[in-house]
Amino acid sequence: MTRTNIPDRIELRRGLDVPLAAAPKAELDEVAEVGLVAVQPLEAPGVKPRLLVKVGESVLRGSPVVYDKARPELKFCSPSSGTVRGVELGPRRALLRILIEPDGRDRALVLEPMSERLLQRAMAEQIIERLSSTGMWALLRERPFSKIPNPSVRPKAVFVNAMNTAPFQADAMVVAQAYPEEFRAGLWALRRLTDGPVFVCVPDRAGGVFPCPDDPTFHVVRFAGPHPAGNTSVHIHHLAPIRPGEVVWTARAVDLPLIGAVLIRGEYPAKRIVALGGPGVREGAARHYRIRLGSPIAGLTQGRVGAGELRIIAGDALSGTAISADAYLPMTCSSVTVLFEDRERHLLAWANPFTRGFSWSRTFLSAWRSPRPEAMGTNRHGAVRAMIVTGLYDRFLPMNIRLDFLIRAVLAQDWEEAIALGLLELDPEDVALAAYACPSKIDLVGIVRDGLARLAAEGV
Amino acid sequence: MHPLLRWLHRWKPWIGPEGRWRALWPVYEATETFLFTPEEVTSGPPYIRDRLDIKRYMITVLYALVPCILFGIYNAGYQYHRALGDAAPLWRVWWDGLRFVVPIIVTSYAVGGFWEVLFAMVRKHEINEGFLITGILFPLTLPPTIPLWQVAVGISFGVVIGKEIFGGVGYNVLNPALTARAFLYFAYPAQISGDSVWAVLPATGTVDGFTSATALAVARATPVGTDALQHLAQAGHTLRSMAVGLEPGSLGETSVIAVAIGMAILLLTGVGSARIILGGLLGLLTTGAAVNLLAKASPALANAHPAWSVPFYYQLVMGGAFFGIVFMATDPVSAAATNEGKWIYGFLIGFLTVLVRAFNPAYPEGNMLAILFMNVMAPLIDYVVIQAHIRSRRRYLEGFAHG
Repeated sequence: MTRTNIPDRIELRRGLDVPLAAAPKAELDEVAEVGLVAVQPLEAPGVKPRLLVKVGESVLRGSPVVYDKARPELKFCSPSSGTVRGVELGPRRALLRILIEPDGRDRALVLEPMSERLLQRAMAEQIIERLSSTGMWALLRERPFSKIPNPSVRPKAVFVNAMNTAPFQADAMVVAQAYPEEFRAGLWALRRLTDGPVFVCVPDRAGGVFPCPDDPTFHVVRFAGPHPAGNTSVHIHHLAPIRPGEVVWTARAVDLPLIGAVLIRGEYPAKRIVALGGPGVREGAARHYRIRLGSPIAGLTQGRVGAGELRIIAGDALSGTAISADAYLPMTCSSVTVLFEDRERHLLAWANPFTRGFSWSRTFLSAWRSPRPEAMGTNRHGAVRAMIVTGLYDRFLPMNIRLDFLIRAVLAQDWEEAIALGLLELDPEDVALAAYACPSKIDLVGIVRDGLARLAAEGV
Repeated sequence: MHPLLRWLHRWKPWIGPEGRWRALWPVYEATETFLFTPEEVTSGPPYIRDRLDIKRYMITVLYALVPCILFGIYNAGYQYHRALGDAAPLWRVWWDGLRFVVPIIVTSYAVGGFWEVLFAMVRKHEINEGFLITGILFPLTLPPTIPLWQVAVGISFGVVIGKEIFGGVGYNVLNPALTARAFLYFAYPAQISGDSVWAVLPATGTVDGFTSATALAVARATPVGTDALQHLAQAGHTLRSMAVGLEPGSLGETSVIAVAIGMAILLLTGVGSARIILGGLLGLLTTGAAVNLLAKASPALANAHPAWSVPFYYQLVMGGAFFGIVFMATDPVSAAATNEGKWIYGFLIGFLTVLVRAFNPAYPEGNMLAILFMNVMAPLIDYVVIQAHIRSRRRYLEGFAHG
């Protein structure tokens, strides 16, 4: 079987749309600015940050404050003009964050802007240089392993993910409408980074209306079906799976305005769009917000979340990262999901088939009616057990992968078998839905994350 | 907080990791999480988890077994009064059924539970809810006349050798309940050989004793040259009586109707693998039909083996095959794990069951050994399926020309 035609629509059946309540609405609001802003270079995988500024020094928006020891061209910049107020160190004296107090004037370091016409013919090196010197390069990923791309290789394809099937991610259409020019510029920049195709993977409903330049080198592919139809691994698997020795680069559509801005505006963007959702969010506040990069998460959550013990997640509830209430917005964070901590204990709930509330499993009578959005909490709903049920995980991953056996191969550290079974095609986020469904409550995400890290460290 | 939970928490200082009775922690933990859902919250992604857990998974199997348990109790009483030859009122039938069956179930749970708790305490792991199923499946494969000490010995063997020495539920190779049953069969064949089942003897001894054979044994014992169906009917085994299940036999497996209700529950809830069950029934019936054809093709063979001419659908109603396929073969830990493998595994169980029934001179019922044999073979089936899967993955990757 040889595939030369690229489909424009792919329908997937396996998966599940978890009916989490309070999805972010497709509306855009502003957020008041509060407190300091932070540059957090350790968020970028594999970066060994070195400081470029001293405490007390004043910086502009876009002034580099940190560079990567391994690749000095890669710099991380201040998201606001102001004064460096402090440097926080993490374990082993790693640079955790550089805190900057905004001066309120928000002056930007001006670089040479590129017109969209110029961008369409730009050399890849020009774009790589600009994205690296502003830190935007760290928004891109290279598969396998989801590393920051190595600029000296050319990927066989670039994948742009404009989908949001996980609960919850920002809506790329909202972002594209807010920054139409930057969005297009971001797409053109990615176009210049590969000689292969650029796949723009969009939700089924966005077919025809997605703002992609009308150029035959862009392939807009609609993906229909439940989560994880929106995951980049799934797109790669169905459009251009990675063979040994190949790499592809991936980007998220919601990051494109940041990439586009440093190219066509010639200055570091001040803000990005972040979606806020989840049962912990107050009624009516679940929507998209424009927020300064690196600003305190409290600026977003204050007055918009409910009272009680909360779990704030940078990213979606399935595969995001829990952060504390006084954390700063991570650079790659495009959505914040808020859940209530649920420690409530129910008498004999496991024996009661009439339990209300959602489950994918038909052992609950509630599974026989169509799901309604539910205020799910963080309760694990059961104790951790050995892997007992088989063939279940595959129902939650629309790829040609037998997850039971892949997981066992990783646990047994049989790397050859794990690679043959498709470990390199996966990202930890891809098994999050299977982990959600797992009755043994196994940490599939951690197993895949550690397995990939081991493989990446040893080199394949 | 629930008052019961508050009361339980009062014991924590003694039983917790610092307490004097910390060896009892697994018992406490099991009691607490049996009564109340755990309070643990997610510590990493995914931050939300589905409501399904292993406890509910196992209790659903138990719910599916309820028709078999109830019927087994009734049938034990019914067979008892049939042996006595009296016409007892319904409550009396139930009462006597309970009198015979409850001690067997209690013994199985108590002795098996003892080993389960002991291993949990020594190995410091939680008590597994899988025992909830093993502890009831095993008695359901026993005749009501089984001596209680044999129940105790059998369940001990099943739990310890069948499961715990491998590391507990999830790591065992064989189905523990069937391991226990097989142990009894080979160790004490007099009581449990499968040829004939002793109905419960009245304590007062109004009759000397009463033995009745299972349908499988009757069919096999058909004299050469006569019709097996007639021979079955003479012994009181009709298709109808065997489907309803008012027959001598092991506790849970005589009634096709009760097993069918359980099967429906397992399939509707998705707890039992449809692939294994359908594969098993397919294997049973097609192999049964093949044996019929063999008998039809060669009158000499048919004459020598009258049981071969028993219509293939009798395979489903005679003996414990249906019960075994629905409740034993579907144990996910000892079954094949791949989807294709489940079809093969199920089919071969049905196939081997009929093979043993038709061609093995020693033992009329082949289902138990067929399942145990396929338990051992399941990893091999999965291995073959996975190698084919890896080849198909390679072909898939090579099939992409662009990019």
